[in-house]
Amino acid sequence: MDEKQKANQNSYLTFRLGKELFAADVRYVLHILPVPEITEVPNSTDYMKGVINHGGKVLPVVDTRVKFNMPQVEKTKNTCIIVVEINSNNDTINVGAVVDSVHDVLEISDEQIQPQPGIGSKYQSEFIDGMIKEKDEFIILLNMNKVFSAEEVDTIVKTPETGNQKPETKNQES
Amino acid sequence: MNDHFQEKFIEEAKELVSGLEEALLLLEDNPDDTKHIEEVFRVMHTLKGSGAMFGMNEISEFTHNLESLYVFVKEQQIPVTKQLLDLTLDSVDHIKVLLSQKIDKGTLSNGLELSGKILQHIKNAGIEVLQDSESSDILPDKVREQDKIIDQQKSVATFYILFKPGKEILRDGTNPLYLLDELSTMGSTYIFRHSDNVPTFRKIDPALCYTFWEILMATGNVIDDIHDVFLFVEDVSTIEILKIADCNILDNSDFIRKAESLFVEGEAMSKAILKNISEELIVLPGKLQSKPVDKAVIPVSETGKKDNHKKENITIKQQPEAYENRGISSIRVSSDKIDNLMNNISELVIVQARLSLLADKMNQPDLSQISESVEKLSRQLRDNVFNISLVPVKNLVARYKRLVRDLSKELGKEIDFFTEGTETALDKNIIESLTDPLLHIFRNSIDHGIEDIETREKIGKPEKGKITLKAYYSGSEVHIAVEDDGGGIDINKIKEKAVNKGIIKAGASPGEKEILNLIFLPGFSTASKVTGVSGRGVGMDVVMRKIKDIRGNVEIDTEVGKGTTITIKLPLTLSIIDGLLVSVADSLYVLPISVVDKIFPVKHKELQDSFNNIIVLDGGQILFIYLRSEFVIGGEAPVYEQVVVVRHGEQKVGLVVDAVIREYQAVLKPVGSHYKDQDFFSGATILGDGSIALILDTNRIVSKFTNDNQ
Repeated sequence: MDEKQKANQNSYLTFRLGKELFAADVRYVLHILPVPEITEVPNSTDYMKGVINHGGKVLPVVDTRVKFNMPQVEKTKNTCIIVVEINSNNDTINVGAVVDSVHDVLEISDEQIQPQPGIGSKYQSEFIDGMIKEKDEFIILLNMNKVFSAEEVDTIVKTPETGNQKPETKNQES
Repeated sequence: MNDHFQEKFIEEAKELVSGLEEALLLLEDNPDDTKHIEEVFRVMHTLKGSGAMFGMNEISEFTHNLESLYVFVKEQQIPVTKQLLDLTLDSVDHIKVLLSQKIDKGTLSNGLELSGKILQHIKNAGIEVLQDSESSDILPDKVREQDKIIDQQKSVATFYILFKPGKEILRDGTNPLYLLDELSTMGSTYIFRHSDNVPTFRKIDPALCYTFWEILMATGNVIDDIHDVFLFVEDVSTIEILKIADCNILDNSDFIRKAESLFVEGEAMSKAILKNISEELIVLPGKLQSKPVDKAVIPVSETGKKDNHKKENITIKQQPEAYENRGISSIRVSSDKIDNLMNNISELVIVQARLSLLADKMNQPDLSQISESVEKLSRQLRDNVFNISLVPVKNLVARYKRLVRDLSKELGKEIDFFTEGTETALDKNIIESLTDPLLHIFRNSIDHGIEDIETREKIGKPEKGKITLKAYYSGSEVHIAVEDDGGGIDINKIKEKAVNKGIIKAGASPGEKEILNLIFLPGFSTASKVTGVSGRGVGMDVVMRKIKDIRGNVEIDTEVGKGTTITIKLPLTLSIIDGLLVSVADSLYVLPISVVDKIFPVKHKELQDSFNNIIVLDGGQILFIYLRSEFVIGGEAPVYEQVVVVRHGEQKVGLVVDAVIREYQAVLKPVGSHYKDQDFFSGATILGDGSIALILDTNRIVSKFTNDNQ
């Protein structure tokens, strides 16, 4: 691998939610934790699962399944929290994301990232940086800053108004 | 090196000036209060003294004039008039300019003009200014004249002063010669120098002071004034002051000759002999009984104390103590160090929580005792460190009081300025960044808010407008509100303007809050006419930006015709609070103990059957908020629940929880911006077992509840 190619290459952490595989640029990822006791915060938006004690700091935790409009599942031994550091409103903030399981770290060059198809995709395009095809499977590359932003975004799934069928059903059949 | 000390002086002087301003404004309210005159005088004196010491001669000279003026005020020869205060406040402004060190020709001529005015004021009061032949090079002639008057008004006495500066004195930036200079300005002096301790050139350390002095001085000042000269050095130096005659004995050449014969290089003169000589020489009718020598020698320094410990100490001691109370003896520490200390203490508090948890579990009396001591200590430590970095809002008040006074005069309005809760303390940095935003807010209130006198009369409001600066804690926030009883902000006007400017669409109907928030947009001003003060559309956007910079927020409440309140909400950066740990179902919450009034156990059934969420407690009706349903927590409520009565402004409101566990020192941690929209919590804290408890913001819970149920 020559230098030029290397420069274009980034590492991505892949994780699973339901059947789907997502990727996050490792530069955003700080830690991967087992799920501790989560303290619920009453009267907060649905996708906020609560807060945890992370090394003496209080870390808000996002229920990624709710964000991605997937049904709730029981916690398994693979369930974990990815602690990410993102930029929201010119502020660097840390947030935890509950995911079903973490998978792998992939080295992917920029050329391998394809744009998200405009039609047929169930996620709003601003949250997706692109798609990666890896061994017959499509991995959705997330725009971490947008997905986990502190701005109130109830779901990143396209709503029926934006010309897409309800994603929940689709999710269950896949 | 020198710059460093000057910087220190300037910092200190700024505090002094704001103290001076405050005292002057108080004096304006109570012109007869001699306490305030004393205070004004005292600050001027300190300013003059330390100014001279740090080589800030302009300040020292200028303040000297002012001080002279106030000598007469103090002696009630010049009455406290508005004219006098205006002049003094202008002078304070001038001192501020001098302190800013941006001195140009304008300031200098301004200074001269003011000095002229000050002297004129003295003359106008019918006090004769005497000519004085000997004038010092440091001070302008006219000032010397003032000195002379002062001198002549008091009976002149002769003092013996031993000034033995500590070796290290030069390292503190003090030049002992300046002190001698200052002494010389107080009267005629005769100075003996002891310099034989100075080592040979090879061995000399230029940073050490080897010399000491003996001074004979005839002056009209009292012994305390002489002590004031040495105020900043008395801790490190040996200073002895002794009155040797009740007249100016220095004029007597015999005395000088005899004194000179007493002088032995390197050794202090015998005070007793000196005194005897002077007594021999003075033949006074009905000879005044002068005090025995040993009594009049006032030991100040360590070495002085060895000499004698007689009752006479008391007379002088009062003075330094008064200064001490003013917090002049202080050190400057970089805020990083304080931050580190704070972090350490936060950790300590958390560890301590774990310790007490463990102690509870082990049930060992020894361990419990230790744990309790640690808790007590960490609490004290916490409070002390808090105190270091917090300054009361009071420090801001003087300058706004001044602003209200000056600006209202300029605009022909009459405004009373009130403050509430100025003891509320905030981080020093935050206080500093508040200055400008508050200035804008005040200007707006004075200029646009408060109507002029005629308008106020017409609509039946009291002639005098009212502006109140309020500061108070609200949960983990500090709120600083500027409240005026002026015309309020016309929401329709803003809307109109916003539509004109194309900021909102003509058909749109945004909420009241939204419209009000348009004021914070750059270039948005509703003032129909632009004045020199405000109305140029810069201001509120700057206010918002600056407050956002310190993680705060600004809110506006207004009612047309009634007035406007602008509230700055700031997070408490330093955040360990005394809390009350309570539980609702499985969750633990912390209530700030400062808002808790009383706790009552009440049967669940009683609460259930109550009408309109009101129960009778302690003979009074109390609105209660049932947290279990407010937080949408399911589950069975216990038979007995606890009603924690909290104060919400004037009101008392009960919060119903399952159980009250105990007091808890909570390190307040932010919950992150993902929860910025929630209404109930000001933060979270980590408990001894590592779990998290949310800290309830009772103010917001109560406000929200009352709003929702109206």
